Amino acid sequence: MKNLVPKPEAGFEVGGIDPQIVEALGHIIQQFDLTEIEVEHGDLKVRVARQMSANHNIVAQAGAAHMPPLATAAVAPTPVAVPARPDAEHPGAVKSPMVGTVYLRPSPGAPAFVEIGSQVKTGDKILLIEAMKTFNEVVGPRAGTVTAILVEDGQPVEYGQPLIVIE
Amino acid sequence: MFKKILIANRGEIAVRILRAAKELGIATVAVHSTADAEAMHVKLADESVCLGPPLARDSYLNIPAILAACEITGVEAVHPGYGFLSENARFAEILAAHNLTFIGPKAEHIRIMGDKIEAKRTVMHLGIPCVPGSKGGVTDDDEALLIADDIGFPVLVKAAAGGGGRGMKVARSRQELPIALATARSEAKAAFGDDAVYLEKYLEKPRHIEIQVLGDGKGNAIHLGERDCSLQRRHQKVWEEGPSPVLSTSQRAEIGEICADAMRKLAYSGVGTIEFLYENEKFYFIEMNTRIQVEHPVTEMITGFDLVVEQIKIAAGAPLTITQDQVAVRGHAIECRINAEHPTTFRPSPGKIAYYHAPGGLGTRVDSAVYVGYTIPPHYDSLVGKLIVHGCDRAEALMRLRRALDELIVEGIETTIPLFRTLVDNADIQDGVYDIHWLETFLDTAIETKKSDPIKEDAELVG
Repeated sequence: MKNLVPKPEAGFEVGGIDPQIVEALGHIIQQFDLTEIEVEHGDLKVRVARQMSANHNIVAQAGAAHMPPLATAAVAPTPVAVPARPDAEHPGAVKSPMVGTVYLRPSPGAPAFVEIGSQVKTGDKILLIEAMKTFNEVVGPRAGTVTAILVEDGQPVEYGQPLIVIE
Repeated sequence: MFKKILIANRGEIAVRILRAAKELGIATVAVHSTADAEAMHVKLADESVCLGPPLARDSYLNIPAILAACEITGVEAVHPGYGFLSENARFAEILAAHNLTFIGPKAEHIRIMGDKIEAKRTVMHLGIPCVPGSKGGVTDDDEALLIADDIGFPVLVKAAAGGGGRGMKVARSRQELPIALATARSEAKAAFGDDAVYLEKYLEKPRHIEIQVLGDGKGNAIHLGERDCSLQRRHQKVWEEGPSPVLSTSQRAEIGEICADAMRKLAYSGVGTIEFLYENEKFYFIEMNTRIQVEHPVTEMITGFDLVVEQIKIAAGAPLTITQDQVAVRGHAIECRINAEHPTTFRPSPGKIAYYHAPGGLGTRVDSAVYVGYTIPPHYDSLVGKLIVHGCDRAEALMRLRRALDELIVEGIETTIPLFRTLVDNADIQDGVYDIHWLETFLDTAIETKKSDPIKEDAELVG
């Protein structure tokens, strides 16, 4: 689905910086055993630093005044395992059977059908998709654990869009 | 004017509509099946929504999915293109019920023109000349014989729910009529779910000449001249041109005004095409298409008006701003429909386009949705694109067409380009002397006289 709802990358505050730049810089640091690397391009400046401790911090800075400061995110030591949408192609992804608006809970204020870590059985209600005032239940196709929820409450979805990952 | 519209179609027409919308400053939503995820109309639109799996009934004909897509994207109107839901009166009504504008005529007019018996009855009252025939459907074989005697053999048995050349059987004598009736009825029932049939005089060697009309739904309407679409194979148009090589300026004005006047009386809204068979300098109505047509670029090239833009403006409530005296036919245009088919067997050839190069230059237009590396899916029509040329007269248009066909490259799939290279060098085509049977006769003869493929890449066929 193109451009319908901009999706923030899981765990990253994007704000105009391509996460792939950060990932590439992380590779370079690893490969050449550096502690720090900084890249500047136009208004944007990205600095990736590695502290020789368990946590590796990536700090991205924006040079232009109008760009908001970016949040620091903790990254796994080998950033190679971070594709653009880690769960979209997952074999356990449950895809939308229709076009509509997805809801994670039966009604506003009610608890969500499932959460990360929920155990589900085949046939359990996991989501609602509404189209033209009609609510359609989406049920789990298999038993397992919910490891990722890829949509937000009230988000528009298209046919085939990955909604949830059940492993 | 609309802020955002949804295009309920695919391929080259979806790209065409997108272009008009963008030029009007309207945001665009493309819908597509999973098979069309990499289609050009999806890439060019501002937003896109996947409707379902490849089959048309699950995607492009899936009304609930299209409505849901309208809902989540917040569009105000839907352009249905051609084919698919473009002449589905129920779809137009459903959109209206959801406060969405259907960019097309009123549902009632779609319905009338969709029923061929009703259409003929309606246009007769509006003054449009028709093929002599039965006053309505024929249910009784004896009645049919009387009517056929009256019209004169040969007669054509036509399905009321048919159209586009489908559901027709010829009877050349009283002996042949009962079989023709029975066969037509059972085929109509199977194909359209309705076995109602009517009779018409069968014209032996007519041309297919159609008039483009445009109305604003408020009683104003104009005509934009004709297109000659006689070159057909199995009732599918292959080559269209305008103006017709056989009509004079006064004939054009006369039939054009009859059509425009009919549309005024009807208070018709949007674009439409009134199709005629033309024989011995007489016009005979066959059907009206209440949508934009594949061959609309021919009219655009000779009149200079953007028909899709006009459609959108009228649907948004604007009155007709073009007056009849502003419509002038300038020069000559020819359109070739290039299909992903073998040039002589017409066997479909979907697949990946390994190399593509479109011709350019003055008076050369290509309406297509293909690109290098694009895979033509097998689930839909086989149109690769339309090559349209315009020249100051027919001779220049033919020269330009020959030149443009030389530049056009489509590799990786079979296409009907070689057929057009052959036609453009054919004496009858160059003289404009042909009728609706010409192309099929040509193809049959060509295959009989040569054992191997008669239409070669270098077009050496003697025509």
